[in-house]
Amino acid sequence: MALINTLGISDLAIALFFIGLFGAMTQRSIMKTIMSVGIMDMGAILYFAMANRPDGARPPIAGTPPELMADPVPQALMITAIVIGVSVVAMCLAMYMRVAYRYRTAEWSILTRRVEK
Amino acid sequence: MTISSILYLIILFPVTAAATGYFLPQRRYHQLLAAVNVSVTVLAAFLFHTVRSGQPLEHLMAGWPEGLAIRLVADSLSAPLVMLGAVFCTGTLLFSTRADYLDKTFLFLFMALESTLLGIFLSGDLFNIYVLIELSMLIIAILIMYKQDKQSVYDAMLYLMMNFIAMAFMLLGIGFIYRITGVLDLNMMHERIAMLESPQAVMLPFAMIMTAIALKAAMFPLFSWLPRAHGAPSAPAIVSAVLSGVQVKTGVYLLIRVSAVFAPQIDATAFFLVLGFITSIVGFLLAICQKDIKLILAYHTVSQMGLIVMGLHLGTETAFYGGLYHIINHALFKGLLFLTAGTIIESYHRRSYAEIRGVMRTMPAIGLGTLAGMLGITGAPFFNGSISKYFISDGLQGNWGGMALFLINLGTTLSFVKYAVILFGKPAGKVDRPRDPWVASVAIVFGLACLFGGLLGGPAVQWLFGPTLKTAGALSTQKILGFAITLGIAVLAYRLVVSRIGTLLIRVRTNKFTFNQLTVMMTLFFLALLAFLWLR
Repeated sequence: MALINTLGISDLAIALFFIGLFGAMTQRSIMKTIMSVGIMDMGAILYFAMANRPDGARPPIAGTPPELMADPVPQALMITAIVIGVSVVAMCLAMYMRVAYRYRTAEWSILTRRVEK
Repeated sequence: MTISSILYLIILFPVTAAATGYFLPQRRYHQLLAAVNVSVTVLAAFLFHTVRSGQPLEHLMAGWPEGLAIRLVADSLSAPLVMLGAVFCTGTLLFSTRADYLDKTFLFLFMALESTLLGIFLSGDLFNIYVLIELSMLIIAILIMYKQDKQSVYDAMLYLMMNFIAMAFMLLGIGFIYRITGVLDLNMMHERIAMLESPQAVMLPFAMIMTAIALKAAMFPLFSWLPRAHGAPSAPAIVSAVLSGVQVKTGVYLLIRVSAVFAPQIDATAFFLVLGFITSIVGFLLAICQKDIKLILAYHTVSQMGLIVMGLHLGTETAFYGGLYHIINHALFKGLLFLTAGTIIESYHRRSYAEIRGVMRTMPAIGLGTLAGMLGITGAPFFNGSISKYFISDGLQGNWGGMALFLINLGTTLSFVKYAVILFGKPAGKVDRPRDPWVASVAIVFGLACLFGGLLGGPAVQWLFGPTLKTAGALSTQKILGFAITLGIAVLAYRLVVSRIGTLLIRVRTNKFTFNQLTVMMTLFFLALLAFLWLR
């Protein structure tokens, strides 16, 4: 328990990143790998958004006193990163739909075998 | 309006012009974009001239203070590459003037890609580079599957997902480095990293960012996306040419830039030197196994990238500039080869080298262009490849180094002996000869550039990068004899060995890795780099 209490959000974000990576390495279903890659990206974004954020800092939104604000730069950047991540995942899903209709499979190994013939 | 606003103009002009002119009919749209490209080339040449005359251009965007602002910077490293990108995009766009695959969406995406590539070269901010790479990745994925035939959607999906994982690594790495240094600006990051007491803190971010960059630069074992993207059956010729000519160079460029930022604490020269060598060997071995002419060229790009990275990390100044010059040379001859290969495939309606014969007879201009490109890439005397390979060989001391370069050269020549069979003989079946002056003239111009890059190698390097290097040795009898011997051995090896192990070649060619295996390779690469940094 003591270990869990010492973990911050940043540590969990890194764990999330590597869980996603593990999923991308091991999952055979295409859908699950796309989800894993999305999780990896979210882990990286979460870690970045927590950078330079002291305990008890508030999000940098208008109305917050400046001395209580967290570093606004990572938060602004991560909005961009989230948008990019969403669009890439959306495009992966669209491509997956095409591939799945065409080759009638949802697994990487079968797909690779059918495509490379 | 200061002189540094030219940096904005170079990045934004292609994409804004393409967006605002989108309502024009297709023919006019193409003319507009050609004019835009020519003016961007002029701007890039002006930028290059300003930078080379001793005045690096810098601009902090939107007037924010240093450290917060996104920095645009053109220095002696990025200015030649910007000019290369602009010239190259202009050339390829003119080449495809009468191509039937051109439509407005395609042209728009092409121009947007050009903007992102130039932006990567001119950006001095790590997060900005990340965003631009992601953008170029999305555009390339669409361009790969543009004609939507055969397995192109699968290729594009694999490309997109592999690159997305790499970019997630890069994002996490940027997050780490931001937490340590508090800035994203490369110059300030460099200063603050130099102040750190031990390199241990920056090892993890370095390994993460370098994993992504090594994937972009197509290093072993992360190159399997490259043949899919560059040799994709459904990608038009000019996409393959731009990807192989300019886009993959952004990886090498970032390798130089980011290594320089981390240089005070981390020195991974030995790692990348060995990696470049392995990449080079594996690249040509796989190229020899291929049948599809575009795939031969694509695997060959992998091999040449290995050579470039080797040259950059050999440690001597001559070899470093040899590597840089090879970036330019490779763009010229590989771009030329991809453009002509695309035309050949369209005329013959075939993709296998075994079924194409007599290009010299049916399309003399294309044939001459292919020949010039091949002479350039194999490092024949008087062509540009010989000069840059000569500079790279300067950094190799002793027998082992000489052997390594000889091996790479032999492999290159061997795979092009195989490629050269398409030029001669008698064409079988019907051939649609293209009656297109643009195709022929661009092929000839690029071919002449390969020749003059070799004849004027020394002055060209001095003009592009600054240092004065001696090129006399590149034309010594010893070198010419060496090339002849290499060619002889390659022809013999092709006749005696390669043409007799067909089943092995087929087995290697058809053995493809699944996505999971590719991800495992990427993770292993990351762990290997991290282990290297820890143990040294």
